[in-house]
Parts: sequence; structure tokens; C-alpha cells
Amino acid sequence: MSDARVRGIDLAVMTARSLHIQVLLTAERMQGLGFAFAILPALRRLYPPREQLAPALSRHMAYFATHPILSGFVIGATARLEERRANGEPIGDGEVDTFKRSLASPLAALGDPLFWVTLRPFAGLVGVLGIACLPVEGMVGADLRLLLCPLLTLLTYNAVALPFRLFGVARGYASADQPGGLLRSLRLVEWNQAISRAGAVGYGALIALVALSLDLGSIRWGVDGRSRVAALTPLVLGAVIGYAGLRRWPGRGVEVGLGVLAAAAVFAATV
Amino acid sequence: MGPVTLLEMVRVALLGGALTLERTAGWSFMLSQPLVGSCLAGAFLSAGPEWELWALRVPIGVGAILQLILTDASLPAAQRQHDTATAGVVGTTVAMLGMSRLHEVSTVALGGALWVVIGVTVGLIAAVGGGWTLRFHRARSRVDLARAEHLASMGFAGAFELLYWGGIFRVFIVGALWAWAASLIGLTMLLVILPRLGELLTARRIGFVFAALIGAGLAAAYHAHVAGRKQALRWVALGATVALVLVVVLRRASP
Repeated sequence: MSDARVRGIDLAVMTARSLHIQVLLTAERMQGLGFAFAILPALRRLYPPREQLAPALSRHMAYFATHPILSGFVIGATARLEERRANGEPIGDGEVDTFKRSLASPLAALGDPLFWVTLRPFAGLVGVLGIACLPVEGMVGADLRLLLCPLLTLLTYNAVALPFRLFGVARGYASADQPGGLLRSLRLVEWNQAISRAGAVGYGALIALVALSLDLGSIRWGVDGRSRVAALTPLVLGAVIGYAGLRRWPGRGVEVGLGVLAAAAVFAATV
Repeated sequence: MGPVTLLEMVRVALLGGALTLERTAGWSFMLSQPLVGSCLAGAFLSAGPEWELWALRVPIGVGAILQLILTDASLPAAQRQHDTATAGVVGTTVAMLGMSRLHEVSTVALGGALWVVIGVTVGLIAAVGGGWTLRFHRARSRVDLARAEHLASMGFAGAFELLYWGGIFRVFIVGALWAWAASLIGLTMLLVILPRLGELLTARRIGFVFAALIGAGLAAAYHAHVAGRKQALRWVALGATVALVLVVVLRRASP
């Protein structure tokens, strides 16, 4: 019976490789090739002879789909399972594949709403809010918003996502025997709920700051109501077309944005 | 009107390649968000000291509006294949380089709103075109799949790794070439079209389109943060109230 062990350096290399898990994404295998690429350092350690490495590498090229941020947990846990198998435990090909799927599917189901639907838009919103909140040039020296606003976006997103990426492989490897406990300990649902609320609060703040920037009480809007209505028309036009367009065609922000541009250009020509 | 320098375009290409890799490979550090890409492009393309103020405003404006419009809360699988990573870079590059070469065409004093509108327009069109380059990469990946399976079955792990690194390199090159080509095409079209529109570009018209884009951005943000979420309006009201109170307090406190 051999005593092959995955080492710390292997886990570190797998963590680095997990950052590229989607490079050769295909509809047939999704992240299958990326998974094989990421777990290869562990397979090399566990199955040094080519005749053993070949089937191990081939079976990890099968269909695999999870959330890229959380992929490290599956890679680490699968490496642990392969380690036990290499050391003589009776674990078949089917069991490894079933284990991968049983961990990957819930991580995708929990990770997609958290990272794509909630956290990513929220991080962008924080950056945009920074533009409205941070002082402009002349108030406190140079205008640093060009630097600070993207930094706010990056910090907001990565404060949540980076720990999952950096420690995913190691935690997955350590918790491979309790996958249910691993899933619960990540608290992904709680994160999603909290960030979703923060996003709504941020949107409220954005609306308030835009309304304040319009300076509705200012005399430059004119004394009569007509000029105020005329000044608000383009904002309302864009908002209505944008709202209706995205409600009708969700996921097509580019097309809706171009539609608003075209409509605004036509209206503007009559101004 | 100065020529487009090689150094400017090399910077744009490198940035475009890196952001495409960030988005496509799965780094997902959010460097590829339009706001970040636009500001990075603005920082890389030094327009010179005479443009200092606008060189700051235009990338922020382009990035903020694209960020709001292109923030899509639906899952990637449900989205159309657009390249939002390089949209901000291409839009900002065309706006910045166009601004320093065509400023005499439109002397309307709107704090750079014309160039923001141009940047957003180019960015949205570039997002569509960038989607085609992503399709090319996906098609190549399918070809690589068959080769990777063959290499794995033979136990050539090193060759498989080389194939994978080649894929990473291809993503970078495709993104870099796209950002470079789209910026040059966009700038060329701007140099041809904008002088012909000189008479039509009044302050009111530019302001109208600019405000409409902000309205579209707010509507997109509503879909991303509020629509379909339980009790979200309550949190929206809380956010608005807190922002208003803070602004009032800060204004009273400032001398």
C-alpha cells in the first residue's frame, strides 16, 4: 500500500490554476478541461507513472460545472478523494465523479445568485456611488475619483470573493469527509441576503444623490414649471425606455442601451 | 490634430488583453467591470496637462454610465454573449483620443458631456462586436477539447498543460487585438463622422442624450438591485433617507 500525499505546494499551485478554470470552457464539458488542468499537480503527485496518470487525467476532463469562485472547494475535496484512492481505499471512478457533481451542483446553485446576481452589481454600484460621494477637484486637492472609484468596486467585490478563492482548495481538501458541513459553513445564503439588502440601500442612496444633483429648487431651472418639466424629460425618457426594455428583454442591457441612445438622438433632434 | 501614438495603442491592447483574460479565464476579480476598465484606460492614456480635468471626468463618466447600463443581474448563461470587459476600455479610448484631436469641432461647454456620450455609444457598440470575438474563442476551445482528450489518454500531461497555457495566451491576444482594432476603427469613424455633425451638436441636444443615458442607467440599476426582491423598496427608502440626511448634515457642517 503506497503512502502518496498531496503537499501544501500542490494545494498552492492548484489554487493558482483554479483562477484559469474557464479558459477552455465549452458547452459539452463546461469547465471540465479547466478542472483537469487545476487538479493536475495533485494527480502528478499521486500517480507518478504515465500509465496511471493517463486514466486519472482523462476522467477529470468529464463534464464539470460550478461557480468559478467556489471551484477551489471541489478541486481540493476531489484531490483528497484521489489521495485516499491512490492509497488503496476502494473508491471507484463513478464515486469520484458522483462526489464532484454532488459538491459542484449546490455550490453553483448557491454561488451564482451570490456572486453574479447580487455581489457583482453591488460592487459596481458602490463604485458609482463613490463618484457621487467623493469630493471633486478643488475641494480637497486633486480629483482622486479616477483612482478611488474603481478601487471601491474592486475592494467591495474581493472583500467577499477573495477569501473563497484563496482558501477554497485548502478548505475543500481539509473538509472532504464532511461535504455537507463544508457547504453549510460557507454561509452563502446569508451573504446573499445581506448583500442584496445593501444593494437596495445603495440604490436608494443613488436615487437620492441624483435627485439632489438635479438641484430642483435652483433658479437655473427657471421660474415656470414648463422649463422644469422640459429639463426632466430626457431623464424620464431614458428611465422609462430602459425600464420597459429590460423588463421585456432581461439580460439585454447592451441592446436596450443602444435603443435608448437611438430614441434620445431622435428626440434631441427635435429640441 | 496629433497622430495616434504607438505607445497609446500598445497600452490599450495590453489593457484589453488583460481584462478579456480576467473575464474569460475566470479570474473574476472584477477588473473587467466597465467602471474599472474605463478608469484604467483613462489612467493609461495620459491626454497631457492641458486636458487634466477632462481626462479625469470623461473616463469616470463613461465608466459610470456603462457600469449602470451593462450591469446585468441575470446569470451569464442567460445573457447574450457581449464583451463588457473591453467595452469601457474601447469607449474611453475613443472618447479620450477623439477629445484631444477633435475638440475644435464642438466647443460647447458641457463639462465633457459630448465625449462621455461618444464614449458610452462606442462602448455599447464595442460590447456587441466583442461578443463575436468571444464566440471565436469558444469555437477554438471546442477544437482544443478533442486534442486535449487525445493527449490525456496518452498520458502526455505536459503537452496538455501547454495546450491549456496556449488557450490562456489566445484569450489574451484575441482581447488585445480586439481592443486595439476596435479603438482604431472607432477613432477613425469618429474623425470622419463628427466634423460632419458640427452644426447639429448643440448644448441642449448633447445634454438631452446625456440625461437620457443616465435615466437608462438608473432603470438598469433598478432591475439589478430592486426588481423582484422581497421588501427591497423598504431598503431603498432607508438608503435614500440616510443619503439625504447625510447630505443635509454635511452641507450644514461645511463652511
